[in-house]
Amino acid sequence: MKVAVLIKQVPDTTARISISGGLVDEGSISKWTISPYDEYALEAALKLQSESGAKVVAITLGPQRSSKSLIDAAAVGADELMHVLYEGDTGSLSLQSALAAAVRKSEADIVLAGKQAADTNSGSTAPGVAQMLGLPCVGLVSEVKVVDGNFVATRSTSSGMERVSVNGPCVFAFDKGDEELRRPNVRGIMMAKKKPIESLSPADLGVSMEDGGVNVESVGYPPEKPAGQTFQGAASASEVVTKLREEANVI
Amino acid sequence: MSVTIVSEPHEEGMHPTLPQLVRAASIIGGSCTVIIPGGNGADEASKIQGVEKVIKLNGACFSVFDSSTWSAAISGLVDGTVLMATTPIGRELSASIAAGLGRSVVQDVTSIAPGLKLERPSYSGKAVESISVSGDAVITIRPNAIESAESGGSADVSTVDSGENLKIAILEAIAKAGERLDVSEADIIISGGRGLGDQSNFEKLESVADSLGAAVGASRAVVDEWGLPHSMQVGQTGKTVTPSLYIAVGISGAIQHLAGMRSSRYILAINKDPEAPIFGVADYGIVAQWEDALPILHEAIKSLP
Amino acid sequence: MGYEALDFYDVDSLLTDEERMIRDAVRDWVDESVIPKIENACREGVFLDEWRQELGGMGILGAPLKGYGCPGLSYTAYGVICRELERGDSGIRSFASVQGSLAMYPIWDFGSEEQKEKYLPKMASGELIGCFGLTEPDYGSNPGDMVTKAEEDDDHYILNGAKMWITNGTIADLAVVWAKLDGVIRGFIVEKGDEGFSAPEMKGKHSLKASVTSELVFQDCKIPKDRILPGVKGLRGPFSCLNNARFGISWGAVGAAQSCFDSARSYAMSRIQFDHPIAAYQLVQNKLAWMLREITKAQLLAYHLGVKKDSGEWVPEHISLAKMNNVDIALEIARVARDIHGANGILDEYPVMRHMANLESVKTYEGTHDIHNLILGRHITGIQAFTREA
Repeated sequence: MKVAVLIKQVPDTTARISISGGLVDEGSISKWTISPYDEYALEAALKLQSESGAKVVAITLGPQRSSKSLIDAAAVGADELMHVLYEGDTGSLSLQSALAAAVRKSEADIVLAGKQAADTNSGSTAPGVAQMLGLPCVGLVSEVKVVDGNFVATRSTSSGMERVSVNGPCVFAFDKGDEELRRPNVRGIMMAKKKPIESLSPADLGVSMEDGGVNVESVGYPPEKPAGQTFQGAASASEVVTKLREEANVI
Repeated sequence: MSVTIVSEPHEEGMHPTLPQLVRAASIIGGSCTVIIPGGNGADEASKIQGVEKVIKLNGACFSVFDSSTWSAAISGLVDGTVLMATTPIGRELSASIAAGLGRSVVQDVTSIAPGLKLERPSYSGKAVESISVSGDAVITIRPNAIESAESGGSADVSTVDSGENLKIAILEAIAKAGERLDVSEADIIISGGRGLGDQSNFEKLESVADSLGAAVGASRAVVDEWGLPHSMQVGQTGKTVTPSLYIAVGISGAIQHLAGMRSSRYILAINKDPEAPIFGVADYGIVAQWEDALPILHEAIKSLP
Repeated sequence: MGYEALDFYDVDSLLTDEERMIRDAVRDWVDESVIPKIENACREGVFLDEWRQELGGMGILGAPLKGYGCPGLSYTAYGVICRELERGDSGIRSFASVQGSLAMYPIWDFGSEEQKEKYLPKMASGELIGCFGLTEPDYGSNPGDMVTKAEEDDDHYILNGAKMWITNGTIADLAVVWAKLDGVIRGFIVEKGDEGFSAPEMKGKHSLKASVTSELVFQDCKIPKDRILPGVKGLRGPFSCLNNARFGISWGAVGAAQSCFDSARSYAMSRIQFDHPIAAYQLVQNKLAWMLREITKAQLLAYHLGVKKDSGEWVPEHISLAKMNNVDIALEIARVARDIHGANGILDEYPVMRHMANLESVKTYEGTHDIHNLILGRHITGIQAFTREA
């Protein structure tokens, strides 16, 4: 069995995001990491590796710098590394097409990915790739096991959790799981630098990165919050609740 | 321009976000068709002003959420721009529908203007993208970001049957575990401090937390004094948290506490002392005895639509 | 607010990719496993056993040693590891220094093949803890006059004497002990449980509270003959260990200083007095600028020393300069950081007072500040000034 893990390199979630000229200033980002939910997908893949003897292929799409995320994946145990090298911005459709093509090329049986990336916060990639591969998708997964030849996943729902079964290739989108993420050790780090990275362009995969329709015109800072408002007396609590819903949109 | 809304199934009739999606459709302009997988709440939906057509999409497959199967059932019925709500199901299903139709998808839109000018947050709210869309895309809209459309419509309701087969089988449902969210993961946190007076009063915070799906935190003072678990502690030597909403009850706001929560997106403070430093970082401050304010707050939360 | 390591000149860009990955792995470990637990460990005066296991699991113990299950990293990588550990706490770095440079290193360099096979793999994995016995109650800066002695007795050696200020002593499974055999300093491996050997813990420290410090007592302690380190005689043995440990300290001190700077900067930015953050006042900015200046210099010193150590082109005096300078400025930075924190600086909410108290020890151990000055003085003038006698 071969497991593909889709990982994305993103700014560390604690990093400050500076914006200039309508774009995020990548040069100001001090630390890049594997997107946190992707790390749970990677951890689950490594568990399938140790429990079911699966081979793990880590796949990323992005500019040159993102090969670091593949080396990080290798340091914790990924067997093969595939980099779809693309320096430009990607629309959801071309991104999913390129990743789907990379998965096909890797000959993986199942695909694990994070439920959404920490930069775009979209959550479109896993279901989109599944659709393009003609596979089912199970989202908000915290665990995947192989049971009697089927994949059994635990996913969260609005009312709790459920265990679901899929009897063939599938895409699983990971939420934060209970598993503690493994930490790279020195041996893993030293081995990782020797691991080859298969570097492919979208053209190598027969994918065009043109996709019209959606155009990010500019990126800006969120509007400044209004100055703090103070309310006198307990009775104001209900007014504040209305503001939390309507002004702040947080409840 | 045509707009198709896919309204997520809901146990109690129509999904509460549907009137908001209808409002968004009216901003875009054009006729608006609502597809309801499973068909629940179709009559209610037909009475929203601006809805032209409601399609009850029936089929055995709608008993289990299976995005690829659902999108196969839905995709043939959509026309024009597709709108859904940004819920876990909405995100997954919209991406699946978009990829199946060969379209782009824009998730979690918080503002929509004529000509399909959209805004959406990225980098966990640290940035906002301004997007323009030409042609037909699939868009999810954040719940409660847009006002609801008024009622008063009378749309036709039709029924379509889908024969799609599920690819996912449910083995067992596991009820939500009783354990509470950890403060480092929660999107809403309600924390108590020494002003609560007694450890037993944390029960009152917990019951508000239950209504909000929030985690319960604490200041160091009470963690130390009342022997609460260190995992609850927010602050310099506890957790540093950045939830969407942080509710501080009876917390004065020592610099060590502020260090752990001041980056929260919104802060609500309840304290009887108008000079308490917590009000210096609060977006909403209620100067009152917490014993009086908390029950009113709780009632108001429970009666939110 | 996560930890932001000050690196004004981007000195870490000079590291290799692997060295940076090791840095990140150790830094993450410190964030997850040291920072949340260190204050409690200090209060209780314990070194957590999980730290031993996790340090072993990361494969960083005995970092620069090759073979026998050891990591085989560069000295620069070893320095980076020490820096990241000491950003957490000097006690954690001390554990790793003693294990790697003072206990594993002499076995690796001076031990027999059997000794290396027996001890090193298990010490690298953290399964066995080692300690190092050189200093005695009455012989600190002057170890050459030690009184602990070994005597041959049939197929055994008999050790008598006492060692003091021994990091890891009570929790150690083995001790590398330096004692005089026929008047010549030799190294011996003493195992926990050997007859006549005990290692009582020294209590009441105001410094390195999360590190175990002990006495080693030998009362007719009987050890088999194959426990002598065959490869070295004289002070060269312990001193070559100390060179490596001091090298690590010169990096470690930078970590402690970076931690103090990080805390002071963020405190100064958020503490409001006279209606403005105190960071807006010139006196505070002057202090922060001075800290930045000294940390940047110390980083460059440590990095270049690493390059020299890796190329083999170094003399012990190079290490003395870096150990002395970097610990000295780190201690002063900790004091200034405490000052910037005002009264809050004495609380365990902030790391500064803990670093400050730790660094008082670090200034004294592994060659006191003054002894390193004398080493440099001798290097400059050719005249030794350690003793009053010629």
